[in-house]
Parts: sequence; C-alpha cells; structure tokens
Amino acid sequence: MKKILAILAIVLFAGTAMAQEELDFERQQAIDSLALEKVRDLSKYIKIVGSKETAWSEANRVIDRAEELFMTNAEIGVSSIASNNIKYYKVRPYFEHLMRLNYDRVEIEWYNIEYVSDLQRQPDGTYVGIITIFQTFRGYDKEGQLAYKDTTKKDITVYVKRKETQIGGRIIGFWDVLLGDMRVKETTNK
Amino acid sequence: MKIDDRRQKTEGRRGLVLLLLAVLLGLGTLPVSAQSIGNVQMDEADLYAMTKQMGQFIRRFNYEEDQFGYKINPKDPSYHNREKRQQSLAILFDQQTYGNQPDLQRFFIEDVTQDDSTFMTFLGGRWYSEVSATFKYKGKDVSIIMILGVEKEGLGSKWVLNNIYFSEFNKLFPTGEISEKEKHFLHPLSHELDFMNIYKIFKEPEVIEYYASKDFVPDYLTLFFYEIKRGNLVFQNVDTVKFHVFQIKDWYFEVSWFNRNGNNAGWLISNLIYLPEKDKKDLIKFYQP
Repeated sequence: MKKILAILAIVLFAGTAMAQEELDFERQQAIDSLALEKVRDLSKYIKIVGSKETAWSEANRVIDRAEELFMTNAEIGVSSIASNNIKYYKVRPYFEHLMRLNYDRVEIEWYNIEYVSDLQRQPDGTYVGIITIFQTFRGYDKEGQLAYKDTTKKDITVYVKRKETQIGGRIIGFWDVLLGDMRVKETTNK
Repeated sequence: MKIDDRRQKTEGRRGLVLLLLAVLLGLGTLPVSAQSIGNVQMDEADLYAMTKQMGQFIRRFNYEEDQFGYKINPKDPSYHNREKRQQSLAILFDQQTYGNQPDLQRFFIEDVTQDDSTFMTFLGGRWYSEVSATFKYKGKDVSIIMILGVEKEGLGSKWVLNNIYFSEFNKLFPTGEISEKEKHFLHPLSHELDFMNIYKIFKEPEVIEYYASKDFVPDYLTLFFYEIKRGNLVFQNVDTVKFHVFQIKDWYFEVSWFNRNGNNAGWLISNLIYLPEKDKKDLIKFYQP
C-alpha cells in the first residue's frame, strides 16, 4: 500500500509544484486523500492491536508499522469526560497500553466520518492540518457482559511537506505526509 | 470482501446518514437520540451535524463546505452562496441560548449575509483563543486564563501568547481612587535634591505604581513569564478553550465547545453581541494589548 501511495503521490504532483508552494483546491483535495489514507491505516492498526485475537508478535509488528506513520516525538493526549487531565503517551506506549487492556474481548468500530481541516502553513513552510475521526470502544468481561463503552473524538495532526527525490537522474517532487500529535477526547455520545 | 464492494456499502450507508442529516438540519429541533432507520444509528447523524473543529466553524460560517462537510471548490457557484450560507449560519448557534433569542440570531444572519457580506478568515486577525488552565502557584492550584492570537511569521503563521489573566496579579494593581492617587507624587523639583525624597516611594510598595507615568499599564504577560522562569508558577493542565471573534464588522461573538448529544453540538456561538466597530477598540486591548 505504501508503495502505491508513494507512486500515486509522485504521479499526481511530479514536476508540477516545484516552484509553486501555494496549494490550489485540486491539489489540496489530492493531499487530503493522501492524509486520509494514513489515518485509515492508523484506524486499522488500532483495531488490530486492540483485538484480543491478535497474536502478541503480530501486534508488535503492527505497532512498528503504526510508529512509521508518525513523526518522531509525536504524542497522544487522552482525556475523559470525568477529568480534564490529559494523559500523554508516545506512540508505542499508547499501542502497548491498548494491547494490555484488561478485557476478555474488545470491539473497536469507526464511524464513517472523516473531517479534514484546511491546511495552514506554519512558519517553516510545512503545511499542517487536522483530521477528525470518531471511534467506539466496547470492552467485555469473562461473562461476555459489556464492562466499558466509550465514543472518542480523535483529532490527528497531519504534516505535509514538499520533498524531492531523484529517479533515473530526474528530480521528482512529491508531498510527504506524516502524522503528528493526536488528541483523544471522550464524547457524550454513548 | 472486495474493496469496491466495501466502498459501495460504506457509501450507501453514508448516503442514508447524510440524507437523514439533511432532513434533521432542515427541521432543526427534531429529537434524534432515540431514532434509527434500518441499521443506521442516529448518533452518527449527530456526529455529522457536530461542528467538529474551529476550522469547520469558519467554513460553515462562510459556506465553504456543504452540509455534509465536503469542501466546496471556490469556482463552484454554490461557494459562499447567500441562501445556503444563511442556513449554514443558523446551525452554528447554541440553541439552548439562542433558541430563546431567535430575533438576535436572525438579525445577525441577515446582517452578515448582506451584499457587503463579511467572511471569517483564519489569517484575518481579531480573533483570539481563551485557554483556561490550572497552574501550581506557591503550592496551590490556581486558574489562569491565557489569551492567544494567530500571528503571521516566516512562510506561515503560529499561535502566540498575547495576554494573561491571573487574579493574584490583578490584586497587585488595584484600580485606586483618583483622590488617593493624587496624594502620591514626587514634586517637580525633586531633582534639585538629588531625589532625597525618593525613599518614600518604597515605603508603600502596595501603591508604588502611583508614582509611575499616567500611561503606565501593568504588563501581566511579563509578570507571568517572570513567575514561570522563577519556578513559582508551574503548568498543570488545560481546562477549557473558547474563542473570541471581533473580526466580523459590528459584531462580537464567543465560540465555545459543547460536548453533548443531539444535532447541536461542537463549536457553537455561545455569546453574541452587536458591537459597533468604534466600541471594539477598548475591548480588544485585553486580547491584544
């Protein structure tokens, strides 16, 4: 999938945006799609790691893939309705925490809602955006009874940077998309 | 399941939800939490209706996205469409507050969608974030309000600290009686005495600012930085965030986060005041000293 995305990024943008840093509507749409693919990968990884049916070794391999989606030092800030305190995790500890949750069975579902912000540039020229998604989590005990349920809003930072690579002597420009800090907030939606 | 099949199924389900949402937005106050159509749960429609990001608030305010959250191409005739914008603006109000004040809401919507319409822009200035946070101060939890604004820099922009409100700092600089202030001064020939009388200033530190120029305004942000640097103030956590918008001609409004069920949730207008431009200047001083 990664290779396909990389090729897609190059095909879409090669040679057209080298001197053109401002994003027009169509290019923004294309970048939104790339960013959404990353977020969908993240959703998929959360589901796999959270599942009690996933073997430990497989879960660890998936966590490796998940870490590759994020920038170094990205943090995940989690809060609940009961407390404003934000608990901060690095990417791997967040997934490991998810893996260790003490339920007999868990269900993780994603709503069909992916809200993509406009991209804004930060002072160094990197574009930054936020993608909002919603997840429902259900944890069941040994008797199969629902022990915990929540719906969380996940606001995920997306960094988009123009980069160049050399292929066959030609310099090709492409947009590199990486995930940054993620805010996880419990909603009242049960 | 093939990707195409899955996508078709997802699109179909989404279509139903969107259809439902369109009906809901049209009807405004229809109770939604207990309803469902087939296997489509209504809470998903609620999440579509929710103004999920402040950026979405701006896009809905300007009608730069349709009711389903899809960005509208600026070349599309429906971009900034007046009638659609009027509908879009109506869902941006906290109905618990403005359901009872439909006239003010209507007046606002009519005013901002006139021919000389005003739009809200991210880099347009005159909108600020109020971040209420808990700090430790001398061992106790205290609440401090930080005011931030968007500032252009380099190739883009960033949020910067403009001001803070901390009651302990305000207590240090109370608004004194003018008659009391008039008693405190260094007479105009003090210089001839090598300022031998200046010691009097320091005998009453609680009113030392009375000896400053009439233009003196305490700089709370500097005090804040000082206390942080000295280690006396230690950040704990953010409690709430809201926005103050002065950008729209002759209006001021607050946007707050409403974490609740139903189709009126997320970032919504929680306070709206008609405020002619000439009256904004003094108010803005707090947000951008």
